[in-house]
Amino acid sequence: MLTQNRVLLPIIALLVYLGPETLGGGGSVYAAFVLIAIFAVMAYGLDMIVSDLGEVSLAHTVFFATGGYATSLLSTQLALNAWLTLACSVAVAMTLALLIGLITLRLREFVFSLVTYAVTVVAMTIAANWSFLGGSDGVRGIPTLDLSLLGMTLKAGNDRELWPYAFVALVITIYLIQRFRASRLGAAAIMVHLNPRLAIMSGIDPARVRLQVFVFSAAISSVAGWLYAYQRAYVSADLLDNYFLLLMLTAVVLVGKRQLLGPLAATALILVQEKFLSFGGYNDKIVLGGVLIMTLALFPRGLMTIPAAILAWRHRRRH
Amino acid sequence: MNLLQQIINGIVIGHAYALVAIGWTLLLGVARLVNFGHGQMYMLGAFVTWWAFAKAGVPYELAIPLAMVAGAMVGLFMQRVMLKATFEQNLVSIMIMTLGFGYVLHGLAALIFGSTGQILDSPWSAIEFEFGELWLTAQDLAIVVAAVMVFIGLNKLLNATRYGRLVRMVAEDPKLAELAGINVRRIYYGVFAFEGAAVAFAAGMVAPRTPILTSMGFDEVIMTFVVVVLGGIGSVRGSYVAGVGLGIFTSLFAALVAPAYTTAAAFVLLIAVLVLRPKGLGAGGGAH
Repeated sequence: MLTQNRVLLPIIALLVYLGPETLGGGGSVYAAFVLIAIFAVMAYGLDMIVSDLGEVSLAHTVFFATGGYATSLLSTQLALNAWLTLACSVAVAMTLALLIGLITLRLREFVFSLVTYAVTVVAMTIAANWSFLGGSDGVRGIPTLDLSLLGMTLKAGNDRELWPYAFVALVITIYLIQRFRASRLGAAAIMVHLNPRLAIMSGIDPARVRLQVFVFSAAISSVAGWLYAYQRAYVSADLLDNYFLLLMLTAVVLVGKRQLLGPLAATALILVQEKFLSFGGYNDKIVLGGVLIMTLALFPRGLMTIPAAILAWRHRRRH
Repeated sequence: MNLLQQIINGIVIGHAYALVAIGWTLLLGVARLVNFGHGQMYMLGAFVTWWAFAKAGVPYELAIPLAMVAGAMVGLFMQRVMLKATFEQNLVSIMIMTLGFGYVLHGLAALIFGSTGQILDSPWSAIEFEFGELWLTAQDLAIVVAAVMVFIGLNKLLNATRYGRLVRMVAEDPKLAELAGINVRRIYYGVFAFEGAAVAFAAGMVAPRTPILTSMGFDEVIMTFVVVVLGGIGSVRGSYVAGVGLGIFTSLFAALVAPAYTTAAAFVLLIAVLVLRPKGLGAGGGAH
């Protein structure tokens, strides 16, 4: 399999890393690559829930926003460095996910989705109204990313300088997703998804597995929020906008579920359209929503199935 | 603050919640379908009513049926696109697709109607009834009457007509209903068209109470969720009781605690019910 190829993966990684420079090295190209990496990391968190647990969490924008808000508040009010804001972002998101996970432990299918959607809407009203979180103005003045350590200067003041860090975050995320899928927890998640009764007979506690995967996935999405706060230098309640939810969902289903590089490829396609082939804000909404609908209506298992569908069609025509 | 006035407000808002949720209730009870684009369909219904009334000069009483036709068409189109997933009961796909539809509707509405807020200044809003310190508009009264009539009508339709029996058979077991010769596809289309028309009707009635924005669908849907879950998934009578109860609760909460956090308070109520009684306050399952 392509994604398990130990030679091909590093080559793909190298090509991606050199991508912005190969494409001219302009500021907008670097900005697009940084955003693709950040939003892909955000989507990988949700991918674990949709692809592996078979549920649709609509609360992952909350974990993304948690990373952004924790970073903005701790860096502007307590002047914490980027390592500490990263640790706190992940810790707060995991705690929140644990709480939401415990509440929704017994809920399935649309009730689970409905409650997680409600979590997002409520989080947005709280973020827009609570002065502690900056209210409708949000939090401004976030310093630039500074990960300097042991005498090494590791700073990023613009998108070009931020790209290596976004790339590393993306690579670590993909590595973690691959390790998760190869782990006992990953196997248990799939079993809980496909046959919960069999999972119980095998000594697996479905509730525990669901909770562990949910908390782990929240940590991943929060890392994206952490980096996004530094990239944008301010956060506001728009982090909880439906745009991020739709972007994540499209990223997860567009190529196909459980495709290691699927969310990255899909995020890249969407962002390239929005950044370089944009039809305007509202038209882009129609494009993003339309792509999501048409993918699921025509290719419910993702665009990966198109070649097989063409082959089957040609086979039918011949016979 | 007049407590009785707040309770009256709550009753009106509660009937509005119940009216907005009725399409979803039937959708869930009958087809076991969900529609995360419900809030945006409400927004579209409000804007079509506003456009017909304020821009095209159509009387308010005719603008609402126009919006209902538009809502039904949107519902039919959505169901056409999701038909395969509906027959497969692929709830994950349906949920995501309806979210996508909501997003597309938001973009379309902003392009057509503009992104600035509007006021649907219905003629009934200007008629006020005063009883001492208490007051009520004709619009409020119309919301309550309309909600009661829709709920009684739907209850009768489901329990006392042939169509209702067919709908309930599909709700019980779509595959067996198909074997029994029922055109399940037509029922699904009918239910989604009803969802579209019902939410547009609700929007035409309720939207004059607040300013309307093309972005309002996102949080508009949350009260529908709460009503549907509190009422017991798919229960028509349960939804009515839950809607009115929720209306009184949010009205008192807004007056006594904090108006900005009523959505959050409704959510806490939802969580409390889900933890204590996962099937809702009413009886769960099936449209009744």
